[in-house]
Amino acid sequence: MIKKLRNYSLVFTLVFLLAACTKEQSINEPGNLVPKTVDQDMSLPAISINGTQMHAEAFGPPDSALLIILHGGPGSDYRYLLNCKSFANQGFRVIFYDQRGSGLSKRHPRNSYSVQLMSDDLSAVIAHYRTSLNQKVFLLGHSWGAILASIYINQYPTTISGIVLAEPGGIIWQDIEDYIKRSRTIKFSSELSNDLLYADQFLTGKDTEHAILDYRYSLLQIVEGNKQSPTGDGASLASWRPGAIVNKALIDIGEKERPDWTKNLNQYKTKVLFVYSENNKAYGLSHAQKVSSAFPKVQLLKINGAGHNMISFPTGWNNFYPPTLNYLNSLK
Amino acid sequence: MLKKIILGGLLILNITGYGQTINWNRLERTDRHMLSINAGLDYGLTGGLAYGYKLKTETPVVLTAEYSTPFGEVLIDDYKSKIGVMLRFAEFGDFSFSAKLQGLFRRYESEYVRMSNFGTEISVTSGYYKKNWYIAAEAGFDKAIITHFKHAEIYRENFPLVKDGWYEPSSGGNFNYGLQAGFSVDKSDITLRIGWVITQDFKTVPNLPFYAQLGYAIKLRNKN
Repeated sequence: MIKKLRNYSLVFTLVFLLAACTKEQSINEPGNLVPKTVDQDMSLPAISINGTQMHAEAFGPPDSALLIILHGGPGSDYRYLLNCKSFANQGFRVIFYDQRGSGLSKRHPRNSYSVQLMSDDLSAVIAHYRTSLNQKVFLLGHSWGAILASIYINQYPTTISGIVLAEPGGIIWQDIEDYIKRSRTIKFSSELSNDLLYADQFLTGKDTEHAILDYRYSLLQIVEGNKQSPTGDGASLASWRPGAIVNKALIDIGEKERPDWTKNLNQYKTKVLFVYSENNKAYGLSHAQKVSSAFPKVQLLKINGAGHNMISFPTGWNNFYPPTLNYLNSLK
Repeated sequence: MLKKIILGGLLILNITGYGQTINWNRLERTDRHMLSINAGLDYGLTGGLAYGYKLKTETPVVLTAEYSTPFGEVLIDDYKSKIGVMLRFAEFGDFSFSAKLQGLFRRYESEYVRMSNFGTEISVTSGYYKKNWYIAAEAGFDKAIITHFKHAEIYRENFPLVKDGWYEPSSGGNFNYGLQAGFSVDKSDITLRIGWVITQDFKTVPNLPFYAQLGYAIKLRNKN
């Protein structure tokens, strides 16, 4: 027995000596496991607004109608929505930005985030790119981005010329909660379940250690692309870096305040293009009808052959782009 | 580099085993080998095996080795192995106090990354032990000391400049606290552990914030 233990000791010694020969890296150093954000890498395209720095890009003629692209999450980034650049060739000024604390935008303390601040940031983005008061503004939001677009319309019902909403979980908290539950139903003994849970013993971080928390959160994105996921994509999304803290902060606020952002939506008289996907088993026609019923005028559009991230993958995009362009052109 | 060698040395010093939960009141002088199987929740749905060897000492000291793996379609990509020492350091009537110190190696693999980690686990247990049953409280700390990352192409498509290799300072640490209980018949024990997990900042919890383990253990005696 003692001899066996000595053999184990020898193996451990060799492993550690081998490990000691390599240069160790810091786990919380930006640029090692996750990319640097705009405040850490000055070469990234950025705008400074509303007391923060945001990773942002704009395409198309500056004086054309603005089309603001709002990514999901909260905490994802706009990389998976870059197909929407095509609208720039159709006479729109297409604006992409990573929301506060998301993607490659600057990180902030957890207690600084609020839904109102995210809405204020959107106002500031519009103001930054708008060249005249006559310039029309459209919003195109996906998932959480569609919720944020609805929140904005609820707050400013007369300022937006048209909105495209792609599978918002809900506009009242109960609908969001129900959708999240359905979309995260996975078999507990599955490999996907392991991939989501087992890493928690390898990686933990304080609320201020954004790099490690964002990296940990990026590993959870695997669920989006897994074939077992009810959201129906079956392929991983392109992304830069998710924002773990802003996600946690806004979800916590939702759970605590259980908001209803529909109260003024009946004042929005413009037709809304409300999009849902064929393959997202957690969404479907009935949920689309329920969520969109807060708006007086709705055009429901089913995207065949696609899941929740219908804008990102070829089949979904090919079915999404033409009717969306028609909708936007009809209001331009 | 020196730090890694010291850490390695500390782990090697721990190379004396941890295993199953033990009914100290039923442990005989002649008991030597302990085998156990268990299943439960430990950062996922897991199953495990453990072997214990009781030293010929006045104070009970058990050396053990343990292996566990989560269920799933691929069984060998994620696992945890531990070696360490467990000893009873105090006894007052039917009350016993024990501690364990373990070195561990664990592995995680997903479509994005393979992580290999050396860590250590320290815990203390205090409980009431009778011949046929026991109940005890336990608390411990699991520290992921140094981790090697090897990223897959799918992660590199998102972040081509990601740096593989050994990472420090420590990449994680979780506290656990809970209860263990057991029923003993002849040479067999049925054991149950349940408890909660909280991360080292005492503010956040893992995605699976509790653990539970049901085990069966059998003791084998030396003839002399």
